[in-house]
Amino acid sequence: MTKSSNTSNNAAALLRIEGITKTFGHTRALSDVSFSIRPGEVLGLIGPNGAGKTTLFECLTGVLPADSGTISRSEKLIPLRDRSSFLFYLPDGITPWPAQSVRWMLDFIVGFFGGPASLRDDVIQRLDLRPLLNSPIGTLSKGQRKRALLAAGLLTPQPVLLADEPFDGLDLRQTREVAQALRTYAASGRTLFLSIHQITDAARVCDRFVLLSGGRVRGEGTVGELSAAASSKHTGESPNGLEEVFLALT
Amino acid sequence: MLSRKSAWLWLVEKEWRELLVSRAWWVLLVLMGPLVGVSFIGAVRTYAEVSGLGGTAAGVGEALSPLVGVWAPTFSACELVAVFLLPFVAIRLMGGDRQSGALKIESQQGMSAFARVAAKAGVLAVGWIVASAAPLVAILLWKSYGGTLYAPELATIAIGHLLNAGLTIALAAAAASMTEHPSTAAVVTLSVTVGTWIVNFIAAVQGGIWEKVSSYTPTAMVAEFQHGLLRVDMVLIALALVMGGLALAAIWIRIGVALRRRVFESLALSALITIVVTACSLVSASWDLSENRMNSFSEGDEQALLQIHTPLRIEAHLAAEDPRRSDLERKALAKLRRVMPDVRVQYISATSTGLFEQTSPHYGEIWYEMAGRKEMSRVTTAEGVLETIYALAGVAAPAEDEESIFRGHPLAVPPNGAALVFYGIWPTVIIAVGVLLKRRST
Repeated sequence: MTKSSNTSNNAAALLRIEGITKTFGHTRALSDVSFSIRPGEVLGLIGPNGAGKTTLFECLTGVLPADSGTISRSEKLIPLRDRSSFLFYLPDGITPWPAQSVRWMLDFIVGFFGGPASLRDDVIQRLDLRPLLNSPIGTLSKGQRKRALLAAGLLTPQPVLLADEPFDGLDLRQTREVAQALRTYAASGRTLFLSIHQITDAARVCDRFVLLSGGRVRGEGTVGELSAAASSKHTGESPNGLEEVFLALT
Repeated sequence: MLSRKSAWLWLVEKEWRELLVSRAWWVLLVLMGPLVGVSFIGAVRTYAEVSGLGGTAAGVGEALSPLVGVWAPTFSACELVAVFLLPFVAIRLMGGDRQSGALKIESQQGMSAFARVAAKAGVLAVGWIVASAAPLVAILLWKSYGGTLYAPELATIAIGHLLNAGLTIALAAAAASMTEHPSTAAVVTLSVTVGTWIVNFIAAVQGGIWEKVSSYTPTAMVAEFQHGLLRVDMVLIALALVMGGLALAAIWIRIGVALRRRVFESLALSALITIVVTACSLVSASWDLSENRMNSFSEGDEQALLQIHTPLRIEAHLAAEDPRRSDLERKALAKLRRVMPDVRVQYISATSTGLFEQTSPHYGEIWYEMAGRKEMSRVTTAEGVLETIYALAGVAAPAEDEESIFRGHPLAVPPNGAALVFYGIWPTVIIAVGVLLKRRST
């Protein structure tokens, strides 16, 4: 990425992430990862399995200790202990409080995190959770659980929601409905950062993308910006669509 | 945004709900009744027989105290449950969040890790108090039989078992936070418990510093409380260890902190706990809250001993496993240390059993030294020890006060209805309440 594009990213950025590095033993999972998050956007973190998407989310939110790297807002560094005021990370593949009902979980999230209680009914309706409210979380199917957890994430008060694989386990209709719901909340001011390995799903919902492969950022921008970057890299014809762009840049 | 206090109360409520859905806790509750029951029924039956039921010679049970005869064995069931069942309940509550992934969500709230651990520990303590309803039922039954109750000694036992449960909870919390899987945490917790038993065993065989260390193990601590002795050093040390265990758990549930930093913090905490525990062990205040003053000399003797301000040195040539040594400790020296702060006791022996030292000319001798004067005796009874000390200090032995002698509370009544209560009604009620709560929650 050029210096001038970095400067323009910084100017519009809600958060600027720089130099995130994480190693597990001798394996470098993330290497000098830098990009920015803009207010009210739906930013997609795209990458193949093992690219480091989950590790990046966990390092950003302090769930996992990073070796190095910073997050700043308006040129001011955000210390690790304060990140929970800005970022909320919704992990993939978890079944928290399995014996408790969905209704209780949503109330708990609002109460425990001080989330917007006024949004509760709207979230329930948009994610079609009303029939599941009395069901214990542990008895839900994968897709149902995903929707319930997304609702929990949307009810947290942090300005940026990081959701790991938000469409995993959802069928086509549910994916479209959830994507629509996410876009609605982004339009109302919530910034969403979604880790998605299905590029078609990502193209459907995200405004901009961060391409991650082998623990490194291979590109950042809209489909058009990434396409231009890919064509300049390969000095050939411009790749068509996000899938082609992704293959060209990674 | 809700206040931090409110968030903590949300967490407490969540932990309570998690405890209510924990099968391990319900199993503990169900088993607590029969375990207390079998101890209580056996103790009351023996107490009744010694008191004259079934033709025992009159007068045998005259000095019987319910503390030793009934409550120590009855409450010992709590010790059993605290060692073998409570760790699993605690590990389930402490480690469940890590297993389910809830820890990753809760850790993003910004609340301090210690506050989160404290919420869990508090709920577990309440869970333990609920389980303690079983010995409470035993107390009510005893009262219905016409038995006497002495509240201070019962309170001392209850405090002892609550502290013991607190130690188990803190240990399980630390183990559950430091390990990835609950089964590993269970192994670690039980290993530490077995380790304290080994310390007790070594102390019994080798004596010396091990004897001092072993006096602060949970088993030894509970034994002191079961004798109605409230020792400030033990309470402080138990509280320090509980807080230390919870702090260790708080260090390790911070999954976002680098491993090296957590290790350093754990080492620093261990050093701090060691210092605090050592300092607490220097505190000598204690209260004998038993009705029969089983941990004290008679009031007359205590008054006489208080007149002696000269340091006393005792050199006992008795091996660690010699029964005379435990007699001397239990019947005389433990009581003596409570009245005379400046007593130094030294045990001398070449072997642990003393079996092959019997022919040694000095074996069995107990030397008393006070202000340069020395006296030797071989008597290990309280009366014999006091007699020697009075002679050495030139203090007149007090006259025996007939009024102050504990006459006991014999009760020749069998444990009627206790079996029905503990083996039938208790489990039925617990299971019924459990099913009812489950239905309500769904």
